[in-house]
Amino acid sequence: MTTKTQKTKAKAKSHSKRRREAMPDRPIPGAAADLEPSSRPGVPMEMEAQPLAGARAPIEPQHADVPVFKHAGRKQMPPVFGTAQPPKGLSGVLRKVAYGYPDHWARHWMVLLVADRVDVWEHRLRRSLPWGPATVAALVAGGLTWRRLSRA
Amino acid sequence: MRALTYQGPYRVEVENKPDPRIEHPQDVILKVTRAAICGSDLHLLHGLVPDTRVGCTFGHEFTGEVVETGREVSQLKKGDRVVVPFNISCGTCFYCQRGLTGNCENSNPASDVASGVFGYSHTTGGFDGGQAEYVRVPFADVGPMKIPDDMDDESVLFLSDIFPTGYQGAEMGEIKGGETVVVFGAGPVGLFTMKSAWLMGAGRVVAVDHVPERLAFAAHYAKVETVNFKEVDDVVLHLKDMFDGRGPDVCVDAVGMEAEGSRAHRVLGLGLKMEAGAPTVLTWCINTVRKGGNVSIVGVYGPPWNFIPIGTAMNKGLTLRMNQCNVRRYMPRLLEHIRSGRVDAKAIITHRFSLEQAPEAYHLFAQKRDGCIKCVLAPHGHA
Ligand SMILES: [Zn+2]
Ligand SMILES: [Zn+2]
Repeated sequence: MTTKTQKTKAKAKSHSKRRREAMPDRPIPGAAADLEPSSRPGVPMEMEAQPLAGARAPIEPQHADVPVFKHAGRKQMPPVFGTAQPPKGLSGVLRKVAYGYPDHWARHWMVLLVADRVDVWEHRLRRSLPWGPATVAALVAGGLTWRRLSRA
Repeated sequence: MRALTYQGPYRVEVENKPDPRIEHPQDVILKVTRAAICGSDLHLLHGLVPDTRVGCTFGHEFTGEVVETGREVSQLKKGDRVVVPFNISCGTCFYCQRGLTGNCENSNPASDVASGVFGYSHTTGGFDGGQAEYVRVPFADVGPMKIPDDMDDESVLFLSDIFPTGYQGAEMGEIKGGETVVVFGAGPVGLFTMKSAWLMGAGRVVAVDHVPERLAFAAHYAKVETVNFKEVDDVVLHLKDMFDGRGPDVCVDAVGMEAEGSRAHRVLGLGLKMEAGAPTVLTWCINTVRKGGNVSIVGVYGPPWNFIPIGTAMNKGLTLRMNQCNVRRYMPRLLEHIRSGRVDAKAIITHRFSLEQAPEAYHLFAQKRDGCIKCVLAPHGHA
């Protein structure tokens, strides 16, 4: 019994010695400061369940006056969500279709990627609309002036 | 207010948009004092994250001053200076209660793959980010940490994401003392992973990248050995050779889906979109690490899939660990490391810009020009 304990102790000792030898002599301030797992904030990965400091329950549900999508694999809306850039136009329709599929379906993501490209084109089109007629008018006016000047 | 907005792949501009408002009694509104540009913002810029809508304001790494509080907020008041975790976490759900705030289930209706995140597309909840004059911060009593009076915003700015993310990357490598660690990616997160590996008692730390300035910075800042994968024939064999032919004990992927190094993955993932980006680095990690070793993933990959050699990982008996960072739990300890001088987080800032210059900052950072490691915006001036 004694020998076994001694052996274990000796083994542990040589192990820790090996570790210390392997430790670098690096000019890093505080090297090995967090060698002890207990000094690492993420160990163990899952803590004993308890509400975090400052948390308040139950959480009042947020209201939105714009459409906010939830993917079909989720039962209900979470109490808090973002309301930025509400869906609109054809990209909005496509996004609605995408969120009709649960998020573990590839088509959920594929339709979203297509919607993203459509969104960019819709946006460019919308932006160019007020400029379109103005540009045409400018070109026509410029052309007329040019013709008049070159005739003179 | 003025805010950076997404206009389509490779295009961002600064424009006027409505000020954010309190939308939930646990919200606050912050006047943003500093907002960093993150490597993962480039995935958004390049149009790789599904449901990135035109008009979206990016930015998930910021500090600010409280200017308005919702009626249920009790821990913060007007004028408080705070640094905010990139995760939006309720503090009470199944995951938050266990410390997994990066997996909160109460802040993102769009997908179960992530919690709510500031300025990171509608796939992470559709919240506008902090690269703006003002930002809405939900669950304000849970996430934000007050900045100590004697510390400036830039010193603690990186507690919002990259320092905790890098630290968790090293932590998931399960370093017990003396281990050999290879960190792929000498960007901001990789740098903090290297520093953290030393803090945990690693025996040898090697950085792998292809940008010479970044490797030089890593060698100086994190005191690591460096390997430029473009200068060796086969990076996997080269690294195995550096560690007795077996490979290191731990490999960390601090790169994610826009990796250089494999034409095949770039064509399949970034060109043809047949996989979610290029998992080149993850493949290198699995092939490089010794049998029974740990692979830790902090690089970002998108849904729905990637081609990775999972059979090799199984046959080598690897432990693969990964997660979005649970930022909140790391803040107090890492603040101590900053305060004690063990880690000078601010030292990685190479470029400072005004908000109006944000598009220029994005392009400089994306092209890794001018020795750029980390860009920080000051929406209300650098005072
Ligand atoms: Zn980030
Ligand atoms: Zn939660």
